[in-house]
Amino acid sequence: MPELTYREAVRDALSSAMRTDDDVFIMGEDIAEMGGSMGVTQGMLAEFGSERVRNTPISEMAIVGTGIGAAMQGMRPVVEIMYQDFLTLSMEQLVNQAAKHRTMSGGQVKVPLTIRTQGGAGWSPGAQHAQQLESWFVHVPGLKVVYPSTPEDVRGLLWSSIYDDNTVIFFEHRLLYPLKGMVPDEIEPIELGKARVMRGGSDVTVVAIGRMVPEALQAADDAEKEGISVEVVDPRTLLPLDEETIIASVKKTTRCVTAHEAVTRGGFGAELAAVVQQGAFDYLDAPIERVGAKFAPLAFAPAMEQWVVPHAADVLEAIKRTVARS
Amino acid sequence: MATEVKLPRLGQGMESGTIVKWLKGEGEPVKKREPLYELDTDKVTQEVEAEADGVLLKIVVDSGEVEVGRTIAFIGSEGEDVPSGNGKPAETQEETEGAAEPEDAAEAEDEPEEEGSPAEQMDDERERGRQAAAATAEAATAAVADAPVRPDGRVKASPLARRLAREKGIDITQLQGSGPEGRIVAGDVERGTVAEPKAAPAVALAAGAAPGGEVQEIELSSTRKTIARRLTEAWQAPVFQLTVSVDMTRALELRERLVARLQEGETKPTVGDLLTKVCAAALVRHPSVNAHFTGEKILRFPYAHVGIAVAAPNGLVVPVIRDADRRTIQEIAAARAEMVGRAREGKLQRVDLADGTFTISNLGMFGIEQFIAVLNPPQAAILAVGSTEEKPVVRAGQIEVRPLMTTTITCDHRAIDGADGAEFLRTIKELLEEPALAL
Repeated sequence: MPELTYREAVRDALSSAMRTDDDVFIMGEDIAEMGGSMGVTQGMLAEFGSERVRNTPISEMAIVGTGIGAAMQGMRPVVEIMYQDFLTLSMEQLVNQAAKHRTMSGGQVKVPLTIRTQGGAGWSPGAQHAQQLESWFVHVPGLKVVYPSTPEDVRGLLWSSIYDDNTVIFFEHRLLYPLKGMVPDEIEPIELGKARVMRGGSDVTVVAIGRMVPEALQAADDAEKEGISVEVVDPRTLLPLDEETIIASVKKTTRCVTAHEAVTRGGFGAELAAVVQQGAFDYLDAPIERVGAKFAPLAFAPAMEQWVVPHAADVLEAIKRTVARS
Repeated sequence: MATEVKLPRLGQGMESGTIVKWLKGEGEPVKKREPLYELDTDKVTQEVEAEADGVLLKIVVDSGEVEVGRTIAFIGSEGEDVPSGNGKPAETQEETEGAAEPEDAAEAEDEPEEEGSPAEQMDDERERGRQAAAATAEAATAAVADAPVRPDGRVKASPLARRLAREKGIDITQLQGSGPEGRIVAGDVERGTVAEPKAAPAVALAAGAAPGGEVQEIELSSTRKTIARRLTEAWQAPVFQLTVSVDMTRALELRERLVARLQEGETKPTVGDLLTKVCAAALVRHPSVNAHFTGEKILRFPYAHVGIAVAAPNGLVVPVIRDADRRTIQEIAAARAEMVGRAREGKLQRVDLADGTFTISNLGMFGIEQFIAVLNPPQAAILAVGSTEEKPVVRAGQIEVRPLMTTTITCDHRAIDGADGAEFLRTIKELLEEPALAL
């Protein structure tokens, strides 16, 4: 069982798919010679050549639009949007085109496009390069939204996303790239829409996504020292959502905390809270707590940035509130 | 299929009841609405009627304390088998047999309803989680001041606590919340249902036990428990007392006149009845005293439902004379006599005890001259009435002998200010000294 970083795991999934399947190609800003601004696609140009590892102009709308066209023609493109903040520039293509064609054509056309993107705070990228916008896309029928938190998951889920016949928006977090983890020798596809229980516990369920998964695991360790047993669940796929696993966990623990780096208000935690109260109302022994960023554009100043986004300590505080200790 | 007879909840606040005796034996036919057994609750003893026709197949709980919702008997057709084995009835029986063992009781509670279901393991795990969390929660938030019951009757409780209470047949309004802002959480429901701990080691250990006799150990009856709980609650209220002496000359004259005019079959009015009437009149004039303090609100009533503390064989009860402000003294006397009679026989209904807005406690008949009564929450005030004694008083510079009665009001200062209490007491004095003013 090899150990890979999250970054290497993404690259491994891309390369493996491209070796297996001529229909898969990648496209994005500076992904070829430069190997992507985060180094994810380094070395791929040499292996696959400039036909299949394509640099694009700086136009997110064009990148996604081209991807949609290629996908409709039978390819399985994986396009990269360098920062998820710039997904905003491709919204028309994503929301009105990619998400709609399959149903509008009565299934005659599919858009098996994967849009990889990354983002997140923690290294002072500033307000326009640090956002977490995953919840925007969870609101759009016709899209799938994936946000893995470990090397094993990112590899298995990216593989499944590439081979899914729908458009998948695939979120990666900048701070997770150097994270190391064991992965299976061979890629094991992970079904979209399946959560993973990262850690068992009996008092509180923390449903965390992205960078907040390792933070939640840290908080769970800290809570354990104080006698609170925390279960951490990573949905991994936000759309479709594995409601069953989450509800079963909360029914067991009777308390729930949601955690993401995105702004709390209107964030994915709100959807999780709604799902949990609906499915486990009679099992809840405390109000559901949401952990997320403060409602502010992210500051460039590191101290300010750290103050705005949540950390393990914030998750721990929320855990304690649910068990009535603070 | 036999019908389960479950211990009913006869009113708000009833968590359990004590089966006194069965009025039907096993194998006897019963009709719907026929009295089936006698039940002693924390307030009254009453007969409970059968809810089905058939034969009383089995009495599961012969006597003793049972919590609301438990199966206590089965009614069915003759010769029919009573459900047994893994079902709830058997558990119930086991628990009854081991009633003195709190652990047994708790275990029986935790039994999931469907044995072997996948939910079972989850329930167990949840249970452990709850216990751990409850323990920690308890340690950290031992004293939460906020009351979970809001003035509108809504209770602040978690959905889980509500469900558990519903399943266990517990009245959630009777629980103390240990969660944030006094919320009732699952742990509170659990604690609320765990059997009372075994009686403390016999006081016999104490030196100086009465020579020639053994220390008497008395199990707390449900009435006694209720008295203990409510009085402990009441004792925590910030109260003040005001005392006044009343010249009862006119009041006694009035009573004599009323007695003289008594018709055949009418109840003889007592000084106490007169006092009830006077209090009721004073209460509607001083609504600040005719009040409940609920924790977040003060409720002031437009009517005076006056409770009369009665020493019943099983302990103190407070039957309520409703609308005392609108009744004549004669009507009050009749109502009082009827209720006190039933109180002494232990036959008060729960409705007789409900909705009091004020309480009078009278120990005058024991020769007690003056005492302080403990509040009867949520009522904001209680009047302690002493005996009427002939005392020397000074009137216009002359020493005269007058029948004086000393009365003390205890007021919940959260609802009533000193001046309000004083004005109320002054009205009581004026009305007793000149009863015509009460008209």
